[in-house]
Amino acid sequence: MTTARTGRPPLWRDVRVLRVAFQVAVLGIIALVLGTLVGNVQANSERLGIPTGFEYLDNPAQFPIPDSEFRPTQPVRDALVEGLANTLRVVVLGIVMATVLGVLVGIGRLSGNWLVRTAARVYVEILRNIPVFVLIVFAYFALALTAFPAISEAWEPLGLAVFSNRGVVVPWVDGGIAPLVVGGVVATVLAFGLSRWRTAVADRTGAPAHTVRFAVPAVVLVMVAAWLLSGLALSVPDREASSVSGGIRMTPEYFAIFFGLVVYTASHIAEIVRGSIQAVDRGQVEAASALALSGSQRLRYIVLPQSFRIAVPPIGNQYLNLSKNSTLGTAVGYFELARVTSISVGNGAPAVPSYLLLLGIFLVLSLTLSFGVNVVNRRLALVER
Amino acid sequence: MAEAGSHEGDTNVRLRRTAIILAAGALVLGACTGDDDDEAGPTTDPPADDGGDAGDAGDDGGGEENGTEGGETLAAVQEAGVVRCGTRDELPGFAVLEAGEHVGFDADFCRVIAAAVLGDAEAVEFVDLETDDRFTALQSGEVDVLVRNTTWTATRDGAEGATFLQPNFYDGQGMMVAADSGLESLEDLAGLVVCVAGGTTTEGNVATEFTRLGLDVPEVLPFDSPELLQVAFQEDRCDGWSSDLSQLSGFRSSYPDGPESLVIFEDAFSKEPLAPAVRDGDTQWAQVVNWAIMSTIQAEEYGLTSANVEEELAGTDDPGIRQFLGEAGEDAVLDPGLGLPTDFALQVVLQVGSYGEIYEEHITPLGLERGLNSIWSDGGLLYAIPYR
Repeated sequence: MTTARTGRPPLWRDVRVLRVAFQVAVLGIIALVLGTLVGNVQANSERLGIPTGFEYLDNPAQFPIPDSEFRPTQPVRDALVEGLANTLRVVVLGIVMATVLGVLVGIGRLSGNWLVRTAARVYVEILRNIPVFVLIVFAYFALALTAFPAISEAWEPLGLAVFSNRGVVVPWVDGGIAPLVVGGVVATVLAFGLSRWRTAVADRTGAPAHTVRFAVPAVVLVMVAAWLLSGLALSVPDREASSVSGGIRMTPEYFAIFFGLVVYTASHIAEIVRGSIQAVDRGQVEAASALALSGSQRLRYIVLPQSFRIAVPPIGNQYLNLSKNSTLGTAVGYFELARVTSISVGNGAPAVPSYLLLLGIFLVLSLTLSFGVNVVNRRLALVER
Repeated sequence: MAEAGSHEGDTNVRLRRTAIILAAGALVLGACTGDDDDEAGPTTDPPADDGGDAGDAGDDGGGEENGTEGGETLAAVQEAGVVRCGTRDELPGFAVLEAGEHVGFDADFCRVIAAAVLGDAEAVEFVDLETDDRFTALQSGEVDVLVRNTTWTATRDGAEGATFLQPNFYDGQGMMVAADSGLESLEDLAGLVVCVAGGTTTEGNVATEFTRLGLDVPEVLPFDSPELLQVAFQEDRCDGWSSDLSQLSGFRSSYPDGPESLVIFEDAFSKEPLAPAVRDGDTQWAQVVNWAIMSTIQAEEYGLTSANVEEELAGTDDPGIRQFLGEAGEDAVLDPGLGLPTDFALQVVLQVGSYGEIYEEHITPLGLERGLNSIWSDGGLLYAIPYR
């Protein structure tokens, strides 16, 4: 209060004014640059007669999409939807598999067993130091195309599946997966309910919870019931010369992008898991040992729950990386969204709106993922009392 | 409770500050756009011209042409002393890199344009483009002309901002299979797998043709680069390899297991007129490129070659040839006002050659007959517009 007497400095030296003025100036410059760029794009496109709108989405795509029902006469819009579905097919399954593999390897890094520890370490050190692009191209040409037999010499164990470098075909239910999806949802809800009930019983009576012993049979029962209800039809792949009918197929292109992304991302997740396990206070492990908890019990009840709290934000970053890296599918001819976009541009779709749309879709995808990770993070965060 | 209260206060202050900044930003924005309008009128070109912004973009990119009216590309090319030609570096027969030089049919047509416009066939800057980015490069002014094995279609004419000119090669899509595969016709490929180059017209053609024939459409697998496609084909990922016949011949001639291990089905199943393209909106440059291409056809019609053109010129009495080559002797030289030097055809033939010469040098070795690419009097489609 004693310095207030000196009065306000002049405007150009008033920190409060300067702060606002500076930010306004920065905003203004950004707006100016963006405005000029957008204006140029519009003016240049107009001059060249290139459409800047999104009407092209209704034009026929003029290219086919492998491994789908898509016809070249369908509009570009449908091709993009198909591409997005392919992207999600890689991203969703990839995130699940990379997490499972990453957590296993991360725990393995700290194993007391020399072989497991060393194997995990070799895995991490090799895979996280290879560019993921190289890994994907390698998975395609060296594994999917070369390590698998040609279709004429396809490997058909018991006549149930067909392994060749045109893909792996395995038996699959006939006539849609809707009953299985419903069954899966019911089974998940049931499993959750059972585990909550068992935990409550255990809390109340002190009897062992045995959640797994209750949940697994329940899930199996529900799934078998769903399958029986769906008509029991199983479509077994049947190879005739070069063509295979029936079953469900994983193409070599999908294998390459999926495999590359999963093993690469898992190597990063493993390091995050290892780091966050080691970040759990040592006293916690010692206290657990003092309570006579076994090794796996220590891990499951004491260490992992606390380490997940630390691991969730960085693992979320890895999920984002995986989803963005899925665009590398273009290198092996996998039809994810970015490739569909670039091919439709090659077939007459205007470049600027096409890539803007791609940008927007990936932004939405990433933000959705971040949102999910944030929700989990908030639920896991330490509640300070 | 007290804590919560102060926290709320913080948020309020921050909110208010953000609001102030946003408002100020909006003001600045408004002022900027206002300025733009004011200045665009008096300082740059006369009004009612959207060239103001376009000119700016050109300046940013290094003072290239970006005009709204015709003639600017030609002027820019003459000033730069070099034609920037969008082409390819790995298309056997059409444009491959050999000892740092672009060699091939398309590469020679780039040289034809340079010889016609600048009088120097070597004044070409080759810009290698992928299928996906070729039109973007043309639109953005990165290249002056695209001579890159590009099929002229309605969509590309209309939506890519490109103007297509005299086709320099009439091609058609064909199918290639391994000689030991036992496949003998398109019918045999029904329901199998066909590899193609991505981002091209070939992808859709396969589906169209098989649907037309009432056959099971094969799975079409596009690849971004011909090398990857070749590896996949060698590994038996696909049964057929479909592309323009000229390209298939090129790939077959350089196939690692030898050309005889591959068979190309004889019939083409699509029309693929490969034509050079320029940016929309510059008619003069389009005419210049068109007549440069045309001059090679005219030269063949006259029977001129790089070896005999000077001799023919000295010996001939045909006023048509003399006018075409820009050597009228005592008579008046014809200048049709195309913006080309009057002796452009002489330079083209002398430095590069006639259409027939270019074809025989690059395409004949691939084992392709002239067929549609003969001059009209031999039953082909090449028909030079009269130069008079």
